[in-house]
Amino acid sequence: MIAALRAEWTKTRTAGGGAWLLAGAVAVTVALSAGIAAATHVSAHSGQEDPTKVALGGIYLGQAVVAVFAVLTISEEYGTGMIRVSLAAVPRRLVLLAAKAATTTALALAAGVLAVTGCLLVGRLMLPGAGLDPAHGYPLISLGDGPTLRAAIGSVCYLVLIGLLALGVATVVRDTAPAIAVVMGVLYLPPLLAQAFADPLRRHIEQIAPMTAGLAVQATATAHSEPIGPWAGLGVLTAWAATSLLLAALLLRRRDA
Amino acid sequence: MTTTTAPPAAAGTPERARFTAVLRAEWTKFRTVRGWVIAPVMAAVLCVLFTYLVANGTHTDYCTGTGDCTPGHAFVPTGPDGQAVADSYYTVGRQLTGDGTITTRITTLTGVTSTAPTSVAPSQARQTRPGLTPWAKAGILLRPSTRQGSAYAAVMATGGHGDRFQYNYGHDHAGRPGRAPRWLRLTRTGNTLAGYDSADGTTWTRIGTAHLAGLPATVHIGLFVTSPVSFRSSADGSRTLATATFDHTVISGHATPGAWRGQNIGAGEQDFYPTLRSGGYHRAGDSLVVSGSGDIAPAVVQGLLGANTAASSQPFGLTVALIVLIVVAAMFITAEYRRGLIRITFAAIPGRGRVLAAKAVVIGAVAFVIAAVAAAASIPLGEHVLHANGAYVFPAGALTVVRIIAGTAALSAITAIAVLAVGAITRKSAAAVAGGILVFVLPSLIGSLGSGGAVTWLYRLSPAAGLSVLQALPRSALVDYPYTFGNGYYPLAPWAGLGVLAAWAALALAIAAVVLRRRDA
Amino acid sequence: MNEATIEVTGLRKRYGPTLALDGVSFTAPPGKVTGFIGPNGAGKSTTIRVILGLDEPDEGRAWVGGHAYQALNHPLRHVGALVDAAAVQPSRTARNHLLWLARSQRLDAGRVDSVLGQVGLTAAARRKAGGFSLGMRQRLGIAAALLGDPPVVILDEPFNGMDPEGIVWMRALLRTLATEGRAVLVSSHLMSELQGIADHIVAIGRGKILADAAIEELLTGEQVLLQTPAPAEAAQVLQRAGGATTVLDDSTLGISALSARQVVEALGRSGVAFAEVSTRRATLEDVYFQLTNEETEFRTGTAVRR
Repeated sequence: MIAALRAEWTKTRTAGGGAWLLAGAVAVTVALSAGIAAATHVSAHSGQEDPTKVALGGIYLGQAVVAVFAVLTISEEYGTGMIRVSLAAVPRRLVLLAAKAATTTALALAAGVLAVTGCLLVGRLMLPGAGLDPAHGYPLISLGDGPTLRAAIGSVCYLVLIGLLALGVATVVRDTAPAIAVVMGVLYLPPLLAQAFADPLRRHIEQIAPMTAGLAVQATATAHSEPIGPWAGLGVLTAWAATSLLLAALLLRRRDA
Repeated sequence: MTTTTAPPAAAGTPERARFTAVLRAEWTKFRTVRGWVIAPVMAAVLCVLFTYLVANGTHTDYCTGTGDCTPGHAFVPTGPDGQAVADSYYTVGRQLTGDGTITTRITTLTGVTSTAPTSVAPSQARQTRPGLTPWAKAGILLRPSTRQGSAYAAVMATGGHGDRFQYNYGHDHAGRPGRAPRWLRLTRTGNTLAGYDSADGTTWTRIGTAHLAGLPATVHIGLFVTSPVSFRSSADGSRTLATATFDHTVISGHATPGAWRGQNIGAGEQDFYPTLRSGGYHRAGDSLVVSGSGDIAPAVVQGLLGANTAASSQPFGLTVALIVLIVVAAMFITAEYRRGLIRITFAAIPGRGRVLAAKAVVIGAVAFVIAAVAAAASIPLGEHVLHANGAYVFPAGALTVVRIIAGTAALSAITAIAVLAVGAITRKSAAAVAGGILVFVLPSLIGSLGSGGAVTWLYRLSPAAGLSVLQALPRSALVDYPYTFGNGYYPLAPWAGLGVLAAWAALALAIAAVVLRRRDA
Repeated sequence: MNEATIEVTGLRKRYGPTLALDGVSFTAPPGKVTGFIGPNGAGKSTTIRVILGLDEPDEGRAWVGGHAYQALNHPLRHVGALVDAAAVQPSRTARNHLLWLARSQRLDAGRVDSVLGQVGLTAAARRKAGGFSLGMRQRLGIAAALLGDPPVVILDEPFNGMDPEGIVWMRALLRTLATEGRAVLVSSHLMSELQGIADHIVAIGRGKILADAAIEELLTGEQVLLQTPAPAEAAQVLQRAGGATTVLDDSTLGISALSARQVVEALGRSGVAFAEVSTRRATLEDVYFQLTNEETEFRTGTAVRR
């Protein structure tokens, strides 16, 4: 397992594109958060805002890049035929999948910590200018605040779980383009579908969809308006990731490489 | 084997025949990969299926002021051109037979606005504050009958738009600016109606004329007052009421003798248009004081009706179909790079721009046809299901439906071509697919984060502007309504939005053409 | 200029720091099989890609039948090429792969069936190319090259992955194509594959042409094989006597530029022991090693250039 891990790590490290993708994930996440913060103007009747959630808005975009990264770690091997070399080197297929999952986890974790830190910094610096300041009853974003810390840790976990979900899907689908489409469809389509319906159907969709459930962990001030509790939501996403990896493991063992 | 008799090189075949050959080659390539044929068909099926699901999940309740709600919707009049109209007002009038003229003077026009939003039943919110809305109307009305939605012509003073002559809900001519006091006159000559205004009652200016075909000999004439929902202070709108004082009212012609008859039109519980309270009239010396609430105008206030149109169930299904088409478009070019097949292609067809153009035509045509079929099936289906569920669906003319179908098809075709171009530039499917999907799903998701202004710009400048072609909600300059994205209105006109997407696609194609030519295969 | 000629003049091409082609010039004449040989990375594929207009040279030009490739109207009717046999869409059938190519050249579908028969793939025509063995893919690639009945045929490493039966078939095909008057350019890094079928050899190493000669000219040299317990001493002696030596194994030397008699005399004079002296006609393999060795030893040397 250690050898397989080191092999996977070397593969990712030397592929070149992976590092750029993760750097890109951090960059687009922080950039979108900054953009949202710059576009936010809180007026008297715009209702209760959640500064932490607004600051972490970049995750909506950043998760797509993390997902693409995770998809490519295996789909590119299928595309080039290198998967046969990998399986020849590590014949126990579950070990190979586990090694890939571990590498994806580590890298998504690193990218996630950087991205979330960047988002919160951007939020702390920019949001007071948008009217989300202590004078209007919004305390500055601080990790000393329990719910904010929960949102930060939860968002990092969210990115890791999205990476694992994507890895599982890619192992099942094997081709880059459809795999990315499936992952992004699973992430982005249910919230769109939910918008078309009224409660309680809307709420049910948001409770079981990976993105809306998983991102409930970002709520601090408006937690009551989320479809699902913060940790329960992350649990739903964990179930999605686990199911996808389980299916991947099953198929990887059954199928000819 | 045959002996080699090579055809002459270079010259000879005209450019069009050459391109046709490349086109046939690319079409053969496309149709001989089974997945690429099945996927677009699936896309169309998914589009229709999701449109059905979304429409089927849409239920509207129709609530009366007392809080009883039943499935269905309030009554919405249909105007002479088939459009949804508001036709609620208070009128004091009588019958006129044959030609005639009605003249009156308006001395005052004032109004009040409810302090509660329209969502609160008027019986629960009696409080008002002074305030006249710009499109509050008071004047002379002539129409064959007081049936809601029937033809009319009217000359009027307004709260903020000066004197107007309007007919059949959508037609508008501006007269003198400013407010009461002023003189108004409406004449009937055969089927021709003309509106005049005057500052002193002696010098008259004609504002406009209307020809109402099939006008009966006897028509309803009267003074009227109405006052539309104001969105000045509340995003949900507030009910308003206007009051006007009329004097020097003179009717020349064969009018029914006797007293004026007051009538409240379109202010019942079953009527959709929110009115503050029933209008009425009373005499004050020589004057007639009339108050009314409502509007005579195109209906756009969809917040009260739901935003359902013929196309409103379609966007989700279309997004799903687009994702499938994006994947196919990306693979149509990146699969060649992945296998090195692109070298065989470029060796067979050295004109690389021609290959790109042929691929664009093939994938564009496939996406166009698939989307056109999907839209043509899902729009009537969605509309039917919505109707069956009792929801109000804004009537769309045949032209609008055709525009939406053609627009959907063009949107899909241009998107597929843009993704193809990005695939040609990057040679990898990941960027083309991820980018293509994000463009269409991200704006509506960021919109839910509460930064509406930024999202409006996304729908103006980003390729997502192409979605404007789905716009089917009516909008009118004669109704003050926040035509914002949050209320279902795209910031750009349908074809302008498509133009923005096309500009992006053209840019991607141009870059792809240059890159293909410069780069070694 | 004959339709069936490839003419390459002064090609130079740089990829970053690597000089892939450094003044490559040669001509592949009609009616002949021209062997294009060189070790991996010598510049064979780059040259072929330049001829096919896939890569743009920094300098020089490559003409087919007197025209630049890009100027050809339906290029596959002038040049048929097998570049990369793996370059097929796996989910497309063999016949459909050829069909789209035929459409691009305005050839009818009958031509597709005819070349499928010619390469022996008729039975597999409606199978997906993804399931083909490497040998079958090579045949499919050859079919694509022959589709336009071109006067010029370029095959890059056509023997890769072929079974012995396939190799025999391929050799016969190449001969037939040349006999019909076509110019046939066949690249290979294995000399033995070209022995007996190539009329003309163009050898390339490190982006330079090392030899461009008729096969008879290259194979004139005789080699003397010497079995000796003291190969190092023997080599010293023979080099002094004017011979060129190659160490073939720890007891065998190959000597050129000296006859067997001269070798025996020289060794006798110096008293170096030897077990056996024999002569052998040079094979393409020898020529190849000789050429490529010279290239490695004398990087600027022009070797046997004509």
